[in-house]
Amino acid sequence: MSWRPSCSLALLTLALGAAAAGLAHGDVYQEPDAFVAEVFGSKPAPKVLWLTRDIQAQAAAILGHPPAQLRQRYWSDSHKSAWILEEIGKEELITAGFVVVDGRIVHVRVLVYRESRGQEVRYPSFLKQFREAKLARDNTLDRRIDGIAGATLSVGAMERMARLALFFDWMSHR
Amino acid sequence: MLLRLFLLRLLRRWHARVGFAAMLFFLILAVTGLMLNHGEGLGLDGRSVHAEWLARWYGIKSEPPRQVFRSGHHGLIAANGRWLLDGKISGEKLPQPVGLAEFADIFVVASDAALYVYRENGELIEKLGPGALPGSPVRAIGSSARGIVLRTASGIFASADALSWRPARQRSVHWSAPAALSTSERQAYEEALTPGVSVQQLLLDLHSGRFAGRYGPLVVDLLALLLAILSLTGAWLFLVPRMHRGRH
Repeated sequence: MSWRPSCSLALLTLALGAAAAGLAHGDVYQEPDAFVAEVFGSKPAPKVLWLTRDIQAQAAAILGHPPAQLRQRYWSDSHKSAWILEEIGKEELITAGFVVVDGRIVHVRVLVYRESRGQEVRYPSFLKQFREAKLARDNTLDRRIDGIAGATLSVGAMERMARLALFFDWMSHR
Repeated sequence: MLLRLFLLRLLRRWHARVGFAAMLFFLILAVTGLMLNHGEGLGLDGRSVHAEWLARWYGIKSEPPRQVFRSGHHGLIAANGRWLLDGKISGEKLPQPVGLAEFADIFVVASDAALYVYRENGELIEKLGPGALPGSPVRAIGSSARGIVLRTASGIFASADALSWRPARQRSVHWSAPAALSTSERQAYEEALTPGVSVQQLLLDLHSGRFAGRYGPLVVDLLALLLAILSLTGAWLFLVPRMHRGRH
């Protein structure tokens, strides 16, 4: 045992055990339910956007990989829509909530962060960059999002989710 | 003059010998370093290597599959955070299922904190987290004439589409229950459900030498020292003859 890669071994075993037991919930900054309730005052019934082949292809171009599921749940009223999305930063999923009004992001929050590094993406000083962001050509954002040293992959995941929320919002109005 | 020539020849000989002897290790360091630097571009993030010998080497305990959940047309075997769904591996780091039920053209796998809704052909329609569930934790899943039925800590709920849930009664529900696997079935599925080691972790351990155990990093330290010596001797072999020629 002593000659084996002890440090990484212990970490791996712990991570695998925790994941297998369903314990790897990460840091929950706001429950998704609470986010929706905060946005709408109460929790409206969810709506569903089915990802047709065309939507899947465009979502895959935004994410850099095919979307994980075939339908996306969202909440909306006559004015705004709320999207709770998940994307892998480095190895674990980041859950974030986006509120879109008239094709612009008006509110973003990191709801659950499961990576071991890069939690800085939850700070308002970073998230405020997404305010009023809208889709430009090729489903990119109309602005550059400044990165955070040591959180490059999480910043990338947040940007991809912001683009996807705007794209899904656009698709839901078609 | 003779001494300098002797030194140059000695250095050249040993520079070549050391370089050749360490070539394989330097190649490993270079390749793993490059792959680590460009892991995202190479699509290595989130990937794992599944091999019994590797899991044993890392000391990861592999649990053999013991039971199977079966519904009318589908079967699920789970072990080590992996699911074998209708004979196909379905993702990594998955929770332990509590059951499997099907209704109309969908089938649903339940864990205590999530539902995984699939199309008949095995495509994932949606994963429902605790916020989308009518109650949590999920204690059992089944099916009735009205749809998929969940037994949760908050009561029993039914849904035809896994979107909207309504309270239901326990009558005429066929609850999903595991069946034990035979010894031959366990052996057949054990290899497919071997726990994985992250590719990034594996590369990192190869690069740092930790893969070889306690003394691995010392070997890599020695290689770093050799690389430094090779750089110095290389510079010496390059510069000294030129300096000498310059003087004449």
